[in-house]
Parts: sequence; structure tokens; C-alpha cells
Amino acid sequence: MEENNRVLSFDAFELQKYEPNRYPYLYIDRVTECVPGKYAKGYKNFTNNEWFFPIHYPGHPFVPGSIQIETLSQMVTVAFTTMPEIKDINVIGCQVSAKWNREVYPGDRLDIEAFITFFSRGICKGYAKSYVDGELACEISVVQAIPSELDKYKPRVTKKA
Amino acid sequence: MTINEKYDNVFIEKFSVKASELSTLKYQEVSGWDSVGHMELIAALEEVFDISLDTDDIIDFSSYEKGKEILKKYNISL
Repeated sequence: MEENNRVLSFDAFELQKYEPNRYPYLYIDRVTECVPGKYAKGYKNFTNNEWFFPIHYPGHPFVPGSIQIETLSQMVTVAFTTMPEIKDINVIGCQVSAKWNREVYPGDRLDIEAFITFFSRGICKGYAKSYVDGELACEISVVQAIPSELDKYKPRVTKKA
Repeated sequence: MTINEKYDNVFIEKFSVKASELSTLKYQEVSGWDSVGHMELIAALEEVFDISLDTDDIIDFSSYEKGKEILKKYNISL
């Protein structure tokens, strides 16, 4: 891990400092390159042992689109929760749009590249693309937020009697 | 585009409302003006007018009309 020039990398344990999800819902295995506030790159290995392959679908297993969205979103999260000013990594999703180009099968490694386009006062906007053997698999654009930061800026509202 | 039109357009585009509805717009009383929408609104106004709002002003910014009062402090006369 190189911190002097702010290009970081995290193994499966280290990345959990920046991604709050845990088994069985932590869907990134390694962050190979990260510039906090700019981008994060890494991957997820999908094995035969994933809980969803037997049911999605029987005889034709592939990674559900919702899981792919979660996987890419988690890499976006790491791209900004690594910023030194972020103290609370409990992030919520606010908005997402996704496009799928191919199925992801057991044994595939999903290479993920996530980029931050905007971050201010607890709101993060970004996008991510994922690849299997260099072929585009899924891409998303996402808005995430840190509720504890947002709460600092909520307008005062006088409730009606 | 006038300053007033710039101000109005931010709300119209952000909350998909008509110009005739602007004067009654208030936080949490229109679809999309939740805490996330609020920060996006503030960010859009800051970009359009090239200003940076203080935290207290962001908290006070609870309606379209209140926003006009607040922006006067930043020499934006609406």
C-alpha cells in the first residue's frame, strides 16, 4: 500500500475499512488501485459456491443483475470513503441506473473500474464499468450519500400544527 | 438569461415543476426535495451563481422564496 502519493490498494481484509457490507453481502474481493475521491479499481471472483447460482437459474447459472449493481456500487463506495475527511462509511444508495451487456458465469472474474464525478457535503455521484476477460459486462451510474453528513445540512422545517 | 431566470431554472429542472408553481415550493413539500435533493439543489445554485453557501444558509434554505432572501447575502439580487 502506497500512501505517500495517495495511490492505494487493499486486500480482502483492508478494504473492509472502507466498505461496510459483510458476508454474505460483501461483493468485492480486492481493490488493486485507488486514488481516494477519484477512482477505485479491483475485482470480484464469482465462484461455483455463490448462494444464488443454484437458483438463478437452475441449469443456467449467472450472476443476477441486482448483484452486479451491488458489486459495482461497492467499488464506487470505496472510491470515496477512502477520502481522509470521511469518518462515517455507512453509505446509502439514492439512485442507480444500469445496463448489462453480457452474462457473468461461475468462474468469471469481474474486473471493476469505478469513478467519482462529484462529491460534496455527503453526496457522491459516480459511475462504474465491469469486464469479464476484457469484455464489458455491466455499467452503472449511481448516487450515494452518507446520512450523517446530510443531516448536518437539512433545512429547519416548522411543522404545521 | 437573467438572474431570476437562472434561479428559476434550477428549481424547474431539479424538481420538474412549472414556473407557476415556484413561489410555493418548500423543502419536503415537493417530490424530490428531500435531503439528497436539497444538497443537489444547493450544488446547482452554487455552480450557476459561482458562490459557496455557508452551512447556516444551507440549513435556512427551506423554500424557493427563502432562498431569494439568502442569496441577497451573496450579492445575488432576485
